[in-house]
Amino acid sequence: MANTITLEQQIGKGEFNEVYRSGELAVKLFNKGYSKADVMNEAYIQARIEEVGGINIPKLHSIPLMNDRYGIVMDYIPGKNMAELIYENPKDTEKYIDKLVDIQMEIHTKRCPYLIKMRDKLADRINRSDLDEDKKFELLTMLDGSPKHNKVTHGDFTPHNIMVGEDGKIYILDWNHASQGNASADVARTYLWLCLHHKEIAELYLDMFCQKSRTDKRYVQRWMPVVAGARLIKKKDGEEELLRKWVDVVLYE
Amino acid sequence: MATKKKVVSPEKVETVEQLEIRLEELRAAQKEFATFTQEQVDKIFYAAATAANQNRIPLAKMAVEETGMGIVEDKVIKNHFASEYIYNAYKDTKTCGVIEEDKAYGIKKIAEPMGVVAAIIPTTNPTSTAIFKALIALKTRNALMISPHPRAKDCTIAAAKIVRDAAEKAGAPKGLISWIDTPSLEMTQTLMSDADIILATGGPGMVTAAYSSGKPALGVGPGNTPVIIDETADIKLAVNSIIHSKTFDNGMICASEQSVTVLDSIYDEVKKEFAYRGCYFLKKDELDKVRKTIIINGSVNAKIVGQKAHTIAKIAGVDVPESTKILIGEVTSVDVTEEFAHEKLSPVLAMYRAKTFDEAIEKAERLVADGGYGHTSSLYIDTREKEKMEKHAAAMKTCRILVNTPSSQGGIGDLYNFKLQPALTLGCGSWGGNSVAGNVGVMNLINIKTVAERRENMLWFRAPEKVYFKKGCMPVALQELKDVYHKKRCFVVTDSFLYKNNFIKPITDKLNEMGITYEVFANVQPDPTLDNALEGVAAMNRFEPDCIIAYGGGSAMDCGKIMWVLYEHPDESFENMAMRFMDIRKRIHEFPHMGDKATFIAIPTSSGTGSECTSFAVITDKGVKYPLADYELLPDIAIVDVDNMMTQPKGLTSASGIDVLVHCLEAYVSMMATDYTDGLALKGMKNVFEYLPTAYNEGSNVEARQKMADASCMAGMAFNNAFLGVCHSMAHKLGAFHHIPHGVANALVLSYVMRFNADEQPAKMGTFPQYEYPHTLRRYCEAAEFCGVKGKNDAETFKLFVEKIEDLKKTVGIPESIAAWGIDEKAFLETLDEMSENAFDDQCTSANPRYPLISEIKEMYLMAYYGKDYKPAK
Repeated sequence: MANTITLEQQIGKGEFNEVYRSGELAVKLFNKGYSKADVMNEAYIQARIEEVGGINIPKLHSIPLMNDRYGIVMDYIPGKNMAELIYENPKDTEKYIDKLVDIQMEIHTKRCPYLIKMRDKLADRINRSDLDEDKKFELLTMLDGSPKHNKVTHGDFTPHNIMVGEDGKIYILDWNHASQGNASADVARTYLWLCLHHKEIAELYLDMFCQKSRTDKRYVQRWMPVVAGARLIKKKDGEEELLRKWVDVVLYE
Repeated sequence: MATKKKVVSPEKVETVEQLEIRLEELRAAQKEFATFTQEQVDKIFYAAATAANQNRIPLAKMAVEETGMGIVEDKVIKNHFASEYIYNAYKDTKTCGVIEEDKAYGIKKIAEPMGVVAAIIPTTNPTSTAIFKALIALKTRNALMISPHPRAKDCTIAAAKIVRDAAEKAGAPKGLISWIDTPSLEMTQTLMSDADIILATGGPGMVTAAYSSGKPALGVGPGNTPVIIDETADIKLAVNSIIHSKTFDNGMICASEQSVTVLDSIYDEVKKEFAYRGCYFLKKDELDKVRKTIIINGSVNAKIVGQKAHTIAKIAGVDVPESTKILIGEVTSVDVTEEFAHEKLSPVLAMYRAKTFDEAIEKAERLVADGGYGHTSSLYIDTREKEKMEKHAAAMKTCRILVNTPSSQGGIGDLYNFKLQPALTLGCGSWGGNSVAGNVGVMNLINIKTVAERRENMLWFRAPEKVYFKKGCMPVALQELKDVYHKKRCFVVTDSFLYKNNFIKPITDKLNEMGITYEVFANVQPDPTLDNALEGVAAMNRFEPDCIIAYGGGSAMDCGKIMWVLYEHPDESFENMAMRFMDIRKRIHEFPHMGDKATFIAIPTSSGTGSECTSFAVITDKGVKYPLADYELLPDIAIVDVDNMMTQPKGLTSASGIDVLVHCLEAYVSMMATDYTDGLALKGMKNVFEYLPTAYNEGSNVEARQKMADASCMAGMAFNNAFLGVCHSMAHKLGAFHHIPHGVANALVLSYVMRFNADEQPAKMGTFPQYEYPHTLRRYCEAAEFCGVKGKNDAETFKLFVEKIEDLKKTVGIPESIAAWGIDEKAFLETLDEMSENAFDDQCTSANPRYPLISEIKEMYLMAYYGKDYKPAK
């Protein structure tokens, strides 16, 4: 298989990888020395989601080793992501957010018992964060007291990861952070990301989700300190102030 | 791991392994503590409370210093309250051993400790909550393991240590109170799943975690206390109480006021008073700044919790005087999108305007629903406004509703109301997802064992006020209607046969002689119907008697009783009065009181039913028989005069005579038989054996007739108090389904029921405290012996007794089987299942000494049907 793959044109770049087009295929090529386990895990999750059915994702083909670099080979989807589309058609923002919420709600109807549990993942990140012990204790207690659900959640559900293909079909990319857990936590995570990067559409998104899914906004808000605490380990520039503000609350006593 | 290998007592609890060792130690100490007497415990409780009280100031200082929240002087009050008020509330409460006993009823309650109490302590009230929980644990002989909040661990541990040391000095086992030195979620979880009970005070996460630990938990939750100031309120008292409460420990008590809704008419005055006393009303542009500061994503900003108003304003970028007591936001929305509508845990208050009291209640309801279900609500009002207060109390889904009371100090109890239990753990009921609805106290930490000794039911003996008997007694007895009872209007109930043959003449003559006006209703039908009775009632209503004479057999007396009920209580429902009961004194429907309008006199003309001295009457309506039973139906006077009984036909003499025998036998073997009823039953059945044949064969024999009349009346008194059994149950249904006279129906099933009851290994015995073991065989033998039957053992005596009964039946012309009586086999078998089930559910079944299975009743019916020819199904 590896022989037939030629890296034609770079079409994307991540923190630890580059994405190339190879004919009908796309190759996500990881940096040399990048964790083999992480590559396999990402491919594993993608394969699992593919097998859940009913979620439109690029088909996974192979995991070749090319010049000491691992790659994940999947279908190439020609089209634009939703962030680009919103940028190009600002008057249709509401329509796109509406679609975004529909897709996210559809994913939440799926079940996949083989994915990692979201609460374990969040607890691990909070524990590894540089928060002081008091704060960790409070966040972990909030997490522990939250309802135990098992819905498939994307984990990085942002307009950038929603591809609108040239064929008109919608594809959901980048399942690396998928887990099974609480839908509201997934929504809180998306809202947080929007607050950090596209503040102008964050409230619209949250209101629309709560309205369409008949979720009490407070239910989503309750997850915000937890998802903010878990994101601290990423140590991304410009995020810290907001994250720490979100974390510094008491639910009530 | 090293500690685990050695199993030495860890100096500190910093790992799960150390916690497990410490919990073992706690259990050992608690085991010893569980043997302590109330005196020992009270001494320890006193010492611990005293020590906590003495350290109230240093502990308050530590708490403020460590958490950076609250006010030292107010925390001193909380510590003082947690020690003194808790001690005072429970110093005389029995918490060890027997705490309640009633020897007459044979009931005793014994208090036992629960074991190891896990105490989750919050940051807002760390030392006082630790003192509170430690004291109630000590008073109840429990051990206590404290899980402090990491941000308040030093002061929490210091408080626990003070209580522990004082308790140990006063004699408590070593190591009864302990704590986690390095709190973590894992440690708290381990503690909660290992403890016997959890006292969780903290955020909702902790409370949920406690409830999901699998151990019983007393968890409490958030409050969002809404205040309403009614226009009748004392405004100065209201405003200053709210300020006093809201500023207490900088608003950190969970019962603290979060919003004030003020009636329109007094709004300005209330606002003026708040401002005058140093509260700051936020200006329009300042409102938003404070909104964004106090709440982040729907939760309280940790930076403002327990801070001064000035500090909070400063964080928000609002300039207020240093001495500002409360920041007040005048807002309109009670929706959760309004930051001021939340619980704020700080001296920040929302203020609403309401046009009417109803609107104010609506607002308060919403605020409670959105943030403080089950916690506390508050009302300022003139307490003469009862209607408004009731409306408010009905609308608030809160476990504490405080009136004219600062809610912080009021909610924790005993400060502003001395019957509200003092506590620093306030239950919010199921509304708040809690297992307790009140203020948590010592009673929540004990297991109560109830020791209940077997007791016998209270029994009584009920009979008519007067029973006249002996030949010729009737006119003498009736004379009393005038002389003793001063009656003026008498209503006579009888049947057309007795009326047409002028049998009632002695009564009407006597009434005429005494000058008592009377009216006769002579249309009682056999098996009287409701319509039949209503016809008589109509006449009765027109006539308005002050006494009723029922003259005749069972039908006339029963119909008279029913008419009496309808005359006195026209609106009573038959279905209710006829409702089946297990115990006549515990029946669901209370029978109405009888006798307010008329005195009831029963004069029998046949010797069988005994209705003249029973509390029973049967009426048929639309084909359904309603057996009514209640002591209210007991006639006031019974007149048993043989002169009325001389003309009974042979068939009636035999059927009703056997009925008397069955009454006696069933009353004698009933579970409810007593020495008081036994004498009557025995003498009654002996009379039947001795005099029924003569009365049957020689109807004019006065002695035989009189002895049977007496037997019938005595039997009535016996079963009126001891009740009947399954023989009557079966006879009732056999009679109803196949139109067999009642006495005959009884006779046809009697011996099969006797054998069934005499079984020494019944499938099920009857349930009644007096009925100790299946002893009916012996009871039948006692009856047999009294009637002169004696075999060489009980089995033989019983056999001979049944034979004697069979002989008697034959003598008085009763056939030996239902088939022989002429009931068609097909018709019988078709109704058999329904009859069996109905007989099972008959009121008489409940007193039977053997509890019958429906299949057993069916079997007896089959035996009674085929008699000697019966072949049991394989």
